[in-house]
This record gives sequence, structure tokens and C-alpha cells, in this order.
Amino acid sequence: MKKYVAILAAVCLAFGVSACGSSSSSSASGSAAASASASASSSASSSGETETSEGERTTFVVGFDAEYPPYGYMDDNGEYTGFDLELAQAVCDIEGWELVKTPINWDSKDMELNSGSIDCIWNGFTMNGREDDYTFSIPYVDNSQVIVVSEDSGINSLEDLSGKIVGVQAASAALTLLQSDEEGGQKALADTFASLQEFPDYNSAFVELQAGSIDAVAMDIGVANYQLKTRGEGYKILDEALNTEQYAVGFKKGNTELCDIVNKDLEELTNNGTVAELAEKYDISDLVCLEAE
Amino acid sequence: MNILEMNHIHKSFGSLEVIKDISLSVAEGEILSIIGPSGSGKSTILRCATMLETINGGEIIYMGEKAAYTDSSGSVIYAKGDKAKKINSNFGLVFQSFNLFPHYSVMKNITDAPIHVQKRNKTDVFNQARELLEKMGLLDKADYYPCQLSGGQQQRVSIARALCMNPKILFFDEPTSALDPELTLEILKVIRDLAKEHMTMVIVTHEMNFAKEVSNRIIFMENGVIVEETTPDKMFNSNNERTKAFLGKYHNMG
Amino acid sequence: MSFSTMLMQLSSGMVKTTGIFFWTIILSLPLGLFVSFGRMSKNPVLKNIVKIYISLMRGTPLMLQLMMVYYFPYLLFGMNIRTFRFPAIIIGFTINYAAYFAEIFRSGIESMPVGQYEAAKLLGYSKSQTFIKIILPQVIKRILPSITNEVITLVKDTSLAFSLAYMEMFTVAKQIVAKDATFTPFIVAAVFYYVFNFVVAFVMEHFEKKLSYYR
Repeated sequence: MKKYVAILAAVCLAFGVSACGSSSSSSASGSAAASASASASSSASSSGETETSEGERTTFVVGFDAEYPPYGYMDDNGEYTGFDLELAQAVCDIEGWELVKTPINWDSKDMELNSGSIDCIWNGFTMNGREDDYTFSIPYVDNSQVIVVSEDSGINSLEDLSGKIVGVQAASAALTLLQSDEEGGQKALADTFASLQEFPDYNSAFVELQAGSIDAVAMDIGVANYQLKTRGEGYKILDEALNTEQYAVGFKKGNTELCDIVNKDLEELTNNGTVAELAEKYDISDLVCLEAE
Repeated sequence: MNILEMNHIHKSFGSLEVIKDISLSVAEGEILSIIGPSGSGKSTILRCATMLETINGGEIIYMGEKAAYTDSSGSVIYAKGDKAKKINSNFGLVFQSFNLFPHYSVMKNITDAPIHVQKRNKTDVFNQARELLEKMGLLDKADYYPCQLSGGQQQRVSIARALCMNPKILFFDEPTSALDPELTLEILKVIRDLAKEHMTMVIVTHEMNFAKEVSNRIIFMENGVIVEETTPDKMFNSNNERTKAFLGKYHNMG
Repeated sequence: MSFSTMLMQLSSGMVKTTGIFFWTIILSLPLGLFVSFGRMSKNPVLKNIVKIYISLMRGTPLMLQLMMVYYFPYLLFGMNIRTFRFPAIIIGFTINYAAYFAEIFRSGIESMPVGQYEAAKLLGYSKSQTFIKIILPQVIKRILPSITNEVITLVKDTSLAFSLAYMEMFTVAKQIVAKDATFTPFIVAAVFYYVFNFVVAFVMEHFEKKLSYYR
């Protein structure tokens, strides 16, 4: 009996220490998971300074939904990447900051930002309709909310969605749009649906679309393009978009100091061609709205 | 010298008074049996004597030291701390349901308290435990667990456990009530052997013939009071109507 | 993503999952024991506070509790919680599981026959000796099956740490699924949880056998 308790205790310690170790070593390997957890503590050194002058900043903590390709996701090597994260890296290179990529739960993004866990939300973040809640950078992508359906569904226009079940990601811009009865909102359209079904992530939505339990999914065009490319044949995007809108980097309301630095860098990166290069890499050149002077 | 003196003991459970002003004493080497119908309070007086129940009035004295007394305001004061420990080391109790520790072997049941409570020398304790087990005819069962033993064997172990603490007085609370008749005989033999060694004992029992045979003195209790207290011979030839009625029932049964 | 890269990523998540598991067990079992003392306390104030605590822990979703613990220092004191993600998860799981363990301990302790306490008292054991030497070992034997149940549930519940975006295995699996549009990571995750629980059940059964020498 005593022997087993000792073994168990040893195992506990080994795992406990390793778990603790990996979450507290900011110098962990480049692996995405390690850097993600490191983010929680690597900022330990800087957390106390975030409220002070931007001149002293050493890290830049970007919160993103790691399930949102092509803007933020895990690449083939298990590293977090995407158009937005590479752009954020470019900003950090200019400023000499260390980029800390912190995956967040999208439902909790406000809490993460307001509580200081992250410095900004930079992840295909729609600014339209949220202007009062965040301090936004200049918009960098012209996005539109579109509808994805199965190719053989017979749905060709927004009118055909009447009486259909439409899926949408929880807490997404598409959902906000479909629930808004203000100018430009699509609540009237949503009212013609049989129901509006919320999903935690796009993967679940696509599985249900494939299985036929929902008829359409509303999402950002960039995400739609990526999903169609990854999943191959069988889906199409309706020509008619729900709206057009812009992506921008979201900062805590009133944090104009940091916002101004990022804006200045974004302009610089546009002018030196970095933005266009990245847009090409991620196949979103038509969407990027930053233009060199 | 009296080992135990209990004076004017009162005990109530809520509004139910189960011990009504009982006094008794036990001298060294004496064997006292307490008999009486169920609910007469005979087990309760034993539980009061062993501090398992707190009395509502009266005093309990072991070896001249007050374990409990009633102060001028009428509240009962119990001895505390080291004094209580010292007083409590005077007595042992054998339960009706044995209450052995099921996760300890027979040997550990007997030796754990002498070693870890009384802080006695391990070798001495083990030697004494072996002697006791031999006396109980259980030496070959030293490494068994209680669940592997019969009821009579378990009760003998619990007697050995109590004896290993070297008490000056040993209480038995209906030690055979949970046992078959043949197993009862095993236990009675053990108690008889202890009597030969002049162990001071107080036995609450339903075994009338045994009480008659082994005791120096018998107390007959009913409804929380002592009806009669006398020698076995006199008790079984009593003229008291209630005593006769009670003992008569047993005779008729036999 | 190649299968081996995926396994690499998932295994780093497994280490974190295992970390949550063992930290929670190490902290919540002793805490649960002390909570059960409070629950059985004669002091009505303490007893009722503990009752409310247990009722809250059992009556609200664990995911919500995790988020509350994580955001609590910010919401109440405006503190910066950047380094608080992992501690919040451990605290959240620990206080939740301690509540369940406390009730299991209580049921075990209250099921002990009073004769065991009386025998120990007559033999002169102090209160703490009685509890540690006589009562607790028997309680553990009695409650082991219920503890096994909770421990197995905990293995699966660790996946709720995804709600705080902690990179335990389920969170990582979700991210790979989002990227590759394949269910393979979920299958790997399922196998991992199953094997983990298989080992847990095996170890617990072994403990039960070790304690089966008496009734």
C-alpha cells in the first residue's frame, strides 16, 4: 500500500511540476501550444507596466481565436499563424516588442481585453457596430458577411433562405448583423428563416451543413474562402452578400496611445509592401483595404 | 479500598429519566453483576461509569479520585486533561457488539493502544498480548482479521484487548447477548477464569445462573432504581415481590 | 498538418491535461476532507457557510465557475489577471471537486458505527488519533468506489479548461480541427481520455483490492 502511494505521489509531482513548468517558462520552445501557455506568464514581467507609458512596453499580447483561419489558426507545424498574426508580428518587429500570441475563447474576448489579459483583439475583428465599445485601429480588410450553402441545395439567393435553418458562430459579427434591426441590419431577413442556429465554431457548423441538419451558414468571406478551399468541392458562396464591413484591431476603449502606434506602423507596412505581400500569401488580396500612398 | 464509587447518579435522555439516584461501589477483587429487565438502566449505568454517557447529577470516584462531581450550583464537573486520562486508565469495557477495529489484525487490535496510547515498551506489550491470546485459546489467530473470526472468538479478542491495557476494573456490557448459546459458553469460561485471578469486574448480563455462580454480589435494577442488592444466594431466595417476579420469568423459561 | 505533428501538438496538450488532473486531485482531496469537517461542525455559522458553498459548487456549471474564478480578481479589484489563467483553472477545479469530495467524505464518516468511536475512547485514543488511525482508514475503504467515480469524471472535465483558452488537449484538438477540417484530432482525444480513465480505473481497482482484506 505504502509503495503505491509513493509511486502515485511521484507521478503526481512529475506531472504537476511539468505542467507548472511549461506554463511558467517564457523561453519555451517555439511550439504553438507552449508559446500559448507561456503567454500567460511570460507577461509576468511586463504585466505591471502595461498601464504605464508605451515607451516602456516590451511585449505585445494579441488575443485571437485560434479557430479562425486564415486570420488566426494553427499551421501545419503546430505554430499559430495567419494574416493577422503575421501583421502583428511585423508591427512588433518595427517597435522591438515581443509578440505574445494568446488564444482566447471568443465568447470571453471582452473580459480578456478589459481585464488586461491581452493588449488587443486582432483576429478578423469586425469594427462596424462595435465602435462604441472599443478603440479601433484603421480598418485593414474589407470584409463581407456571406452565406455558404451546399452546391446541390438549390439555394441561389438570400430569398431562397426563407424557411431554412441557418447556422452562425456564437458572438460573431454575422450573428450581430442578423439580429440587428437598425439601418443595414438583416433582422428582417433572419425573420424569414425557419431558425437561426448558433455554433461554437465553424467546424461544427460545416459538419451539420454536410449532414443536412442545417441548410446554410453565415460567416465572413475570408473564412468562407478558406473553408471552401480546405474542404474541397460541394459548397458554394451566395453571390449576394449580407453586408460589407471592415476589420480592424480592437483595443480597450480609450487606449488611443497604443492604437496610434499600431496605426502608424500599419501605414508604414502598407507603404513598404509588407501588407500586400502577406495578403497574397493568405489569398485575401481582394479584401485588404489598406492602400499605399 | 473501593476501586469504583458511584454516588447519587442521575441520568436523563431528554425528559426521560433512566437512572434515578443510584449509588453503588465496587471493592478490589470483587465481582458485581447487574441484572434486570430491558430498559431498566443497567447498561446506562455502565456507560456512565465508563464516561460514554455524561451524568446529570451525582459523583463518580475511581481509586479515591473524583472523575465527576456535582458542584454547589448543581452542574456536573468532569475531570479534564491528564487527570481524566489517568482516571480513565483504571477501567476497561467489553462491548456487547465487540467493536473490534476491522482493519487491524488481532494482534494490532490488542497491542496498538498499549504501544501508542500508553507508550509502553513494544516487546513487553507483544509478550503480554501473546500470553493473553494463549489464555483465550487464540494464539494461532494472532494474524487474522476480525472478519475471519467467529463471534465468540471476536469477543475473546476484545476481552484480551481490554485486559492488555492493565485496567484495575473491567466492565462487561451484556458480553454474550450477540452470541449463540455455545459461543456464550466460551465467553463465560473466560470470565470465570478471570474471576479465579481476582480480576475486579462489573458484569451486566442476562445469564442468571452465570451471575449467581460467578458474582460476589448482585444488583437487581428496574426502572432506573436499585430494587435489591445482595449476595447471589440471598438474591435467588429473595422475598421481594419484584425480584421474585423477574427471576421467576427466567426460571419458567429454563 | 501531418499526423506526427498533430500528435506532437496534442501530446503537449496531454501534459497540460494531466497537470490539471493531478493538481486538482492533490489539492481537492485534502480540502474536501476539511470541508466535510466544516459541514459536520457543531458550529451553526460554519456549518451553514459550508452548506451554501457546497450547494453553489454543485448547483452551478463548472464552466461558469472557472470563468468566475478567472475574472473575479479583475471584476472585484480591477487587478491584472494576465498570469492568472493556470492558477484560476486549478483553483476552479479544486473548489468544485472539493465540494463533491466533501460530501463523499461526510457520507463515509457518518456511516461509521458509533461503537468504533466508543471503543477507541475506552482505549484512550485522543480525538485525532481516533480519526487518523481508526476512522479514516475505514472511511477511505467505504468511499473508494464513489471517489473513483469522481476522479473519472474529473479526467473528462479537464476539457472544460478550453473555456479559459488554456491549451489543454481538448482546446488544441479543437484548433487543429478548425484548421484541417478533419475529425482525427477528436478521435485521438477520445482515445487519450479513454486510456487515461482506463489507467485511473485500474489503479483505483488495485487500491480497492488492497483494502479488501477486511470487511
